[in-house]
Amino acid sequence: MKLLEMRNVKKSFDDLEVLKGISLEVNQGEVLAVIGPSGGGKSTLLRCATTLETVDSGFISIGGDTLVDTDANGKSHYADKHKLTEIRSKFGLVFQNFNLFPHFSVRRNITEALVHVHKMTRAEADKVCDELLVKMGLENKGNAYPCNLSGGQQQRVSIARALATNPEILFFDEPTSALDPELTKGVLKVIRDLAEEKMTMVIVTHEMSFARDVADRIIFMDGGVIVEEGPATELITNPKNDRTKAFLAGF
Amino acid sequence: MVTDMYSTFLQLLDGFKYTLIIFGATLLFSIPLGLLVAKGRMSRNRIVSGLIRLYISVMRGTPLMLQLMVVYFGPYFLFNISLRDLTIGNVDYRVTATIIGFSVNYAAYFAEIFRGGIQSIPKGQYEAAQLLGFTRSQTFFRIVLPQVIKNVLPSVTNEIITLVKDTSLAQVLAVTEMFTAAKGQASSQSSIMPLVMAGVFYYVMNGIIEIIMNRTERKLNYYN
Repeated sequence: MKLLEMRNVKKSFDDLEVLKGISLEVNQGEVLAVIGPSGGGKSTLLRCATTLETVDSGFISIGGDTLVDTDANGKSHYADKHKLTEIRSKFGLVFQNFNLFPHFSVRRNITEALVHVHKMTRAEADKVCDELLVKMGLENKGNAYPCNLSGGQQQRVSIARALATNPEILFFDEPTSALDPELTKGVLKVIRDLAEEKMTMVIVTHEMSFARDVADRIIFMDGGVIVEEGPATELITNPKNDRTKAFLAGF
Repeated sequence: MVTDMYSTFLQLLDGFKYTLIIFGATLLFSIPLGLLVAKGRMSRNRIVSGLIRLYISVMRGTPLMLQLMVVYFGPYFLFNISLRDLTIGNVDYRVTATIIGFSVNYAAYFAEIFRGGIQSIPKGQYEAAQLLGFTRSQTFFRIVLPQVIKNVLPSVTNEIITLVKDTSLAQVLAVTEMFTAAKGQASSQSSIMPLVMAGVFYYVMNGIIEIIMNRTERKLNYYN
């Protein structure tokens, strides 16, 4: 079953065309890594898929629901407000710089939406939270505030926050780019564990070996297009396209 | 001498009631109004934000004393409506006009402080909240506002302290707040003592405010 489908997605900022017609699919249980140089459109792709940017044209569906479609005249039509809320509940996004709520404890960061959006009782939400904290290796951090945690711990809290609402698909926008090298390990391990549980994920990353190990498939993006796409190990070890080769040679 | 001082003290205390009323009512009205004005100032509607901008610039660019006079005398001179006998409860229109003038003026200052505070919240906070399913008002009241309060507290303290001293401007509408009382006593006794005592009143009140606000700031320091 396709959990994410994008067809011919285009997006420009003023005169700059950042996405020049991107098409991709992600099936249930699959892990897709998106790699490529900065400015190649990776983050914009992710932001369009997660409703943070609106596309100029193209088709996107998440979990079988159409987020945006384009008519014969080239005009894009987004789902209505109600539907958007429903679609947003189907996925989670882990930001590069965490975007935790600094005034909330770790526990409230994870449970606030469960209680006030998903109308769980406090006890139910706490139970979900406790399970996630164990999974993230943060058992004792429920009452801590984000500012008292290391970057790696903060990122794991934000993964827990994204997982709390039980999404069908999880997006990661360079989850380790803001972290010191020694802190990335814990975060990558958590994502690896999720992959083993067959969590559907789309990961924009600069960690090539991680992408090779965890992803089923890799997309190499440059200049607003998908330059090369293939099974993870093959694309990393045996790239066909010259631009892919040149990019990977830098690692 | 001692009885003089005691009777002066009682007179000032009597006036202090009005000082407190003006102070309390102004805070009560101007802070929510300021929040609303800040929202309007940031509105994407050009007409709304333009009008609010003009309002803020007039409020900040003209003397508060003049604004008080406009609120009090304006209705009569502009529309020939006399509000002089209008009492709300047992509050004289002089006091009502003072509170209106102060609230509208302070709302403009608070609005600019709040705007700065709201705009300092990173875009990522809104994005995270939106994707988690929070509505716009939940996002504002649960995520944004608590952080704004912490950010703006020092500037708000400044305004509150200024307000305490500004209450003395109510004398232009012949409201017998503390400073008016002190001036009366000073001239009838030909002594500077009542004015000094008034100064002590203001100073003590501001001292208390500072203590309260410092405590609040410390309380909000659980994160940074």
